[in-house]
Amino acid sequence: MAIECLVLGAGQEVGKSCVVATIGGKRVMFDCGMHMGYHDRRHYPDFARALAAWGVPDFTSALACVVITHFHLDHIGALPYFTEVCGYHGPIYMTYPTKALAPFMLEDYRKVTMDQRGEAEQYSYEDILRCMKKVIPLDLKQTVQVDKDLVIRAYYAGHVLGAAMIYAKVGDAAMVYTGDYNMTPDRHLGAAQIDRLKLDLLITESTYAKTIRDSKHAREREFLKAVHKCVSGGGKVLIPTFALGRAQELCMLLDDYWERMNLKIPIYFSAGLTIQANMYYKMLIGWTSQKIKDSHAVHNPFDFKHVCHFERSFINNPGPCVLFATPGMISGGFSLEAFKKWAPSNKNLITLPGYCVAGTVGHKLMSGKPTRIDLDKDTHIDVRCQIHQLAFSPHTDSKGIMDLTEFLSPKHVILVHGEKPQMAFLKERIESELGIPCFYPANNESVSIPTTDNLKMSTTERFITSCAAEQGKQSLRKRNLIHGTGTSEVNGCDEAAVEGVILMEKHKAPKILCEDELAQVLGMERHLVQFEALGSSGIEEAVELEFKRAEAADLGSDGK
Amino acid sequence: MSNTKQPISNRLRSLPVASGGGLPSKTPTRRSPLPAGEAPPLPLLHQALHPPNPMGDPHLLSSAHPAAAAASARKHPGPIDERFSDPSPHITKRPRVAADAAATVGSAPYPEEEVRSLVIMAGGIYPLARAEALRGLAAVLEKAGTGCCDGAGIVECCYGCAVELMRDEDEGVRLAVVRLVGLCAQKFAARMDVDAKSDGDIMDLIFQQLSSMARDMCTKVRIEAFGALGKMQRVSDGVLLQSLSKKVIKTDTMSGTIIKGQKLPPKLKIPCAAGIFAHGIEDEFYQVRTAACTSLGALAKFSSQYAEKALDLLMDMMNDDTETVRLQTLQALFHMATYGYLSMQEKHMHMFLGLLVDANALIRNAARKILGLVNLPKLQMFKSAIDCLIASLEKNPEEQDIYGILFSIGKNHGSFSANIAKHLAKEIATASDGELILDRPRVKALIIVSISAPFSDDKHKKLDIPSIIFSHAISLLGKVSCALGEEVNQDSLLSYLCHKGGMPLWGNRSVSVEFGESESCKVETVEVGEQIENTAKATKCLDRVLVMQSVESILQTVEGAWTMRMSCDVCEARTILRTCKEELKVLAENSSGSIGAFLSFLCEYLDAIRLVVELWQLIQLDNSYTVGLTAPDILLEKLNISVRRMECCYAGLNRGLEVQVMELALLANLLGLSNIGACSKAVLSKLVWIINRLEGLCADGSCELSDFSREIKKTFEADHIGSALIRNIHTSVELFRLKPTTDFGALKAISGVLQVCDNNSENPQSYICGLPVGVSFNISLWNISSNHRLWLHMSIGESVQHTFLDFSSFEGDGEVKSGSMVVPLNTTPMAHSFVLRVCLIMECYGGISSNQERHGGPSDCVVQLSDELDVYFVSTGQR
Repeated sequence: MAIECLVLGAGQEVGKSCVVATIGGKRVMFDCGMHMGYHDRRHYPDFARALAAWGVPDFTSALACVVITHFHLDHIGALPYFTEVCGYHGPIYMTYPTKALAPFMLEDYRKVTMDQRGEAEQYSYEDILRCMKKVIPLDLKQTVQVDKDLVIRAYYAGHVLGAAMIYAKVGDAAMVYTGDYNMTPDRHLGAAQIDRLKLDLLITESTYAKTIRDSKHAREREFLKAVHKCVSGGGKVLIPTFALGRAQELCMLLDDYWERMNLKIPIYFSAGLTIQANMYYKMLIGWTSQKIKDSHAVHNPFDFKHVCHFERSFINNPGPCVLFATPGMISGGFSLEAFKKWAPSNKNLITLPGYCVAGTVGHKLMSGKPTRIDLDKDTHIDVRCQIHQLAFSPHTDSKGIMDLTEFLSPKHVILVHGEKPQMAFLKERIESELGIPCFYPANNESVSIPTTDNLKMSTTERFITSCAAEQGKQSLRKRNLIHGTGTSEVNGCDEAAVEGVILMEKHKAPKILCEDELAQVLGMERHLVQFEALGSSGIEEAVELEFKRAEAADLGSDGK
Repeated sequence: MSNTKQPISNRLRSLPVASGGGLPSKTPTRRSPLPAGEAPPLPLLHQALHPPNPMGDPHLLSSAHPAAAAASARKHPGPIDERFSDPSPHITKRPRVAADAAATVGSAPYPEEEVRSLVIMAGGIYPLARAEALRGLAAVLEKAGTGCCDGAGIVECCYGCAVELMRDEDEGVRLAVVRLVGLCAQKFAARMDVDAKSDGDIMDLIFQQLSSMARDMCTKVRIEAFGALGKMQRVSDGVLLQSLSKKVIKTDTMSGTIIKGQKLPPKLKIPCAAGIFAHGIEDEFYQVRTAACTSLGALAKFSSQYAEKALDLLMDMMNDDTETVRLQTLQALFHMATYGYLSMQEKHMHMFLGLLVDANALIRNAARKILGLVNLPKLQMFKSAIDCLIASLEKNPEEQDIYGILFSIGKNHGSFSANIAKHLAKEIATASDGELILDRPRVKALIIVSISAPFSDDKHKKLDIPSIIFSHAISLLGKVSCALGEEVNQDSLLSYLCHKGGMPLWGNRSVSVEFGESESCKVETVEVGEQIENTAKATKCLDRVLVMQSVESILQTVEGAWTMRMSCDVCEARTILRTCKEELKVLAENSSGSIGAFLSFLCEYLDAIRLVVELWQLIQLDNSYTVGLTAPDILLEKLNISVRRMECCYAGLNRGLEVQVMELALLANLLGLSNIGACSKAVLSKLVWIINRLEGLCADGSCELSDFSREIKKTFEADHIGSALIRNIHTSVELFRLKPTTDFGALKAISGVLQVCDNNSENPQSYICGLPVGVSFNISLWNISSNHRLWLHMSIGESVQHTFLDFSSFEGDGEVKSGSMVVPLNTTPMAHSFVLRVCLIMECYGGISSNQERHGGPSDCVVQLSDELDVYFVSTGQR
């Protein structure tokens, strides 16, 4: 048996995560994302090509199920397209918070792309709703029997609300697809948590394959200092974020700080989406960090005290403020609008996330210190504001990936969701330090991984008895030894080789026998071969004769 | 047969078998004590059990290069190495094992048996059973003494078993593994303590293993792992520093990865310790964060470089959202401060001083305590600290202990306080009447800081504090004495202040004694006292390193006092000795185990020294020999009792200590001789006995016969009657040097506690006049072995009854035995009521007993084991 792993997206790149793993003949699609940096064919994973390769008429029969790890668009963006346009009607699994929050994310993005770029609409609002209806929700550590053979289970992944790592198992072959995860807890989410499983394959994200982040305490301090300096100088702070996750994290941090420092400057959320999301966060306390779980009964930390109501026109208001705007990489939407307005003033501050996809404004700002950004042929923006890069990232760092890999100790590792040079570096580390073979296939490449196959065998009573007798002798010897020399030989001695014969007959379960039982079970007599001093031709004849006799008896046995 | 599951310890062991071939000359001699036929030579046996595996068996690999392996074994002659490279480790140990086991055979099974079966159980298929087996191993390990040789193999065995299960699927098992590994680490550390200085490779390895467990997904395992990390000892600097930084620090020596030529599995390289504490303090669960903070602080005593970096991490924790974590962080900082490893930097000050005005009183208090101990390198920092304390005082005027902190912080920074004092003096001088109100907290605080300067360590500089400050301080007498703590009384303080303030002395007395010429000495003792007081009060459990530091400083003071005796300043010497003893007592009360025993031994020793000093003074003053019981007689008797207690009440005296005691005994007898003025036979024979004993102790050259004993021996050999001895007594005594040793090994204090059931002066026991009465006692005995002879000494006025104490039926282990018994009091007086005084006494066997007669009671050479207890009786008619 083997696991065949086809990477449809996020192979040697970040965006449109989509991996199809074939475990013992069962195809499972992990994530179904879109790429934010492209607006052409490359926007979605190449489903058609995969279908052609599998040689099946439709997706529903090809895939056992689709599992979505979390609600980020690069993990779920292509799902409505896949179900409604490509016509997949099989089961889709995602966690409760993902199911609750995904429609908002999808709808928000649909609107943004429609308004901003007038891009041909790939799916409609109704498509999203229809798609979400097919979703079967999952709970943490809930084991779901998808069909007769396939079992999946979700583990807490940190990262964003409702993010999960997926364990899938068919027969003895087992694998984990991590999705995005975070090994260090932050203010509102806990750290990833998983059991020690016996795995053949681990597919892990590798966004920060090379970076090792230092303590978050220092980063928080710096961020607060920069923001405080900016607002006390009368500047405006633009924090472009995903609506969910980072926004809440940073807002909790600021809210705490505002409280401590007694600041009165308004904090705004640009979109209704974020406010709606906050409502969900308040409800889904069970998926947040331990501290919030402990304290939410007294005060729900998602009731931000210093967040004010926001109107789009406030963007032109004078005076300092802090604005959370979507999308996070300034690829369009309100964050771009605010950026256009505020970037020319040197009093203002823009905090960028730790990672931006190539092609977005955020990426341009991060690479070097540009004074002018060209949006398109006609639009140019002068950039004079300060830029604070904020490495608050809900992704684990290189150390975290290594830690998780070490903890799980799978037989193979596949890296996805990262950039090629860094992945190559991490692959080296995993192979040299942990001794685990590691791959990082590009998009549309597939990797085949051998798996162990356990075989159930029956055995005869006689064999067991003889084993036990052998062990008894061993332990007797050991006891003598202990009186002689102390405890030195106690460890590791209880493994001993035993001799037997494995008998594999057609249509019967394999069996282990004692050597001398073999003849009896097969119903044969014992043959003795005796050698005499003959000429060379004589020996050959004798041996041949023996072989023929054996064949005639139709011996289907296999020596040990 | 798979080779992958073979445990490390096994692999480590399999190496020497091969290398044994490289050292053929060594093996036969080592094996010679073994009775023939009891066990076959080990290499053969080993092969019989491990049929050579054709592929990848490490011991085959190493046997391919026997010379190299042998060479590497020779290169690192540490004790661990010794253990592993010894061709037949347990055979060489065997004679000692047998000797030890002979006593216990039949009563307790071999711990090896227990361990063996538990190890086999730990390999079972049921996780709960595995976990239970590991807990069992931990229990066995805990019982097995550290130093005793039969524990040696067990620790390795348990460790090997634990390491094998470290990657277990079940978290309960992993939890048990962490506990067991932590325990093994402690045992290893303790053993290396006894053995010799060793390379801590094994400790580094364990540290890394525990670190990898500290990244476990299970919270409980993480908490336990951080706890265990904090208890580690002898971890190398490189590993410690690595534990603070997530980035892997490149080390040129890869000694961490290759231990004794055995390449470790890749999981155990240094990176698994990387940034473990950085992870720990970021943990989601506050319990883990708390444990990480504690360990961070606890490990700081091993490396100053580490302490510096750890401080950065700990300071960040002050922003933690959980109060428990913040408090624990402060506790850890305090711990670092007591070890003198806390060097506050300017960048920390802002964060730290913020804590002084925290809303939470507990946090304020903890932060203040730390401030009282730290060293601030810059005047600016010192001033800001003082300002913050004053602000805190103004905000919370009820917190009077701030004055104490102000005093100690001022004392710690003498020159800075002198600076403050100068400014203050100017301020006082320029202020017109009424402007400077002493009631203002600021002025009060500054005056306290100023007068603390003379007590500072900066002896090299003469700090002159304007006298006007002292005269102002007089009005704050209450506060000052409060700040100083209890050890200085108000009267002497007042006279000191008056003296310093240049006032006409009110009550001219005692200034010179208390603070006069001997000021330096007095200040020193005050300081030592205060330092210890601080630490003793704050940290409940003092640990070994700290205690030994204090003990050493005390002993230095004592030696100083002894030399002072030479200059006839006996009063002073006596005071110092007394103070030192009090300090030791404080330490002893807070310590336990062998260190506690050592401290009480030292108390006894100081007592004896003090008696010698007093006696010597009396003898020198009064050379005319008198008859009858005089003050010297009493002192001498006290001294003898003290020496006897040192001899008999401590089990496991090592050679150094015994020599120390014997020299004291020699001195005591010499003083006895000089007191009597003639040589009685008994005293002479005692002297001979002591000298012989001393010679015996020093025979093997491990310690040297001191000049003092050599001189006496010489005199004694020249003249058997001892008249020369008495003539030369002065010169002999002059030769006596105080050389208290601080190496105490496994010292145990023998002691007992006697309690009488249900009896006090309000609730006396009734009796019938003239008839026997039974008294029931609860008795607990510490470190008593079966060959000690104990008696109950019961006295009513002059009449004494001795009852032999049969404690064979007492319950308990080797350390504590306890039981209750009813002891008959044979005669009761014809009185309405009486008080019976009872105590436990022990016969000194093999001692310097002079009188062999016994009247059914103990020999006259006894020591008192317990405090004297009063039992109240009232006759039935009176009730």
